[in-house]
Amino acid sequence: MTLVLARVDDRLIHGQVTVGWATHLQPSRLLLANNEIAADAWQSEVYAASVPHEIEVSILSLAETAAYLKRTADRKERVLLLTASVGEMAHLATMGVPFERINLGGLHYSSGKKEMLPFVYLGEDDLPPLRQLLNRGIRLQAQQVPGGMEHEVNAEEVRRMEGRF
Amino acid sequence: MKPNAAPTRALVITHGGIAREMINVVEMILGPVEGLEAMTNSGKSAADITAAVESWLAEPGAAFILIDDYGGSCATAARLAARDRPEVGIIAGVNLAMLLGFVTWRDSTEFPELVRKIIQKSREAITQIGAGT
Repeated sequence: MTLVLARVDDRLIHGQVTVGWATHLQPSRLLLANNEIAADAWQSEVYAASVPHEIEVSILSLAETAAYLKRTADRKERVLLLTASVGEMAHLATMGVPFERINLGGLHYSSGKKEMLPFVYLGEDDLPPLRQLLNRGIRLQAQQVPGGMEHEVNAEEVRRMEGRF
Repeated sequence: MKPNAAPTRALVITHGGIAREMINVVEMILGPVEGLEAMTNSGKSAADITAAVESWLAEPGAAFILIDDYGGSCATAARLAARDRPEVGIIAGVNLAMLLGFVTWRDSTEFPELVRKIIQKSREAITQIGAGT
């Protein structure tokens, strides 16, 4: 199993992922890790319907996601993993998912969030998990779409964001 | 003619400014039109798009949501927001012909037939008119 992209994107399955990144990275499976959606068959169907037919799709809870990635480590699969929040990605890391880097791609403005980059707005709750991921040696790469602006998020930037809340 | 005069409403949700411009063009062709609203997903989180659609749906009764792109955040938000509203029609692939057909027929055509007619009209508008050799 190759984790071709682990992306935090509040829109989850949408064009930037299914057209932009999927065309570029050719994943064989899109794995959406979200406890609420995984527990709701109707919502799962809504999200799964947006995935192109040539890509397999799994919508799993965080615990099931960690177990799936461990179980399929030897399988020839190219997985594109999505979570809606930094906290969920950090939770997967604590459950043993061996991330090398995480893509911050679609974190839109909503009430109480502050801008780090034009496509990365962070809430106060996002900062401790960002720090945890950096402390684990995981690289945080902000990039919305393939070929778009790339930005490596470091501890100093997270510290500066902490000072803004 | 349908009874009850209020025209069926439609919300056009697209990426960028497409929805606003399409409605502008419809009004350029037909004159001022009631009950058409534009929404963009630009800069909005998934939760905020869904909340905005829910707010538009707060008014009861039949309504349409027309979306630019099947499989995108606009389509997902519309489906999630209209989960318990079977009287709301959701159609992806909005184009100018679809909107013009909707406004033309919404007062004279009942719901399932209206859906069929505007999808047919929007598909017929996609046609090759040059050789392309």
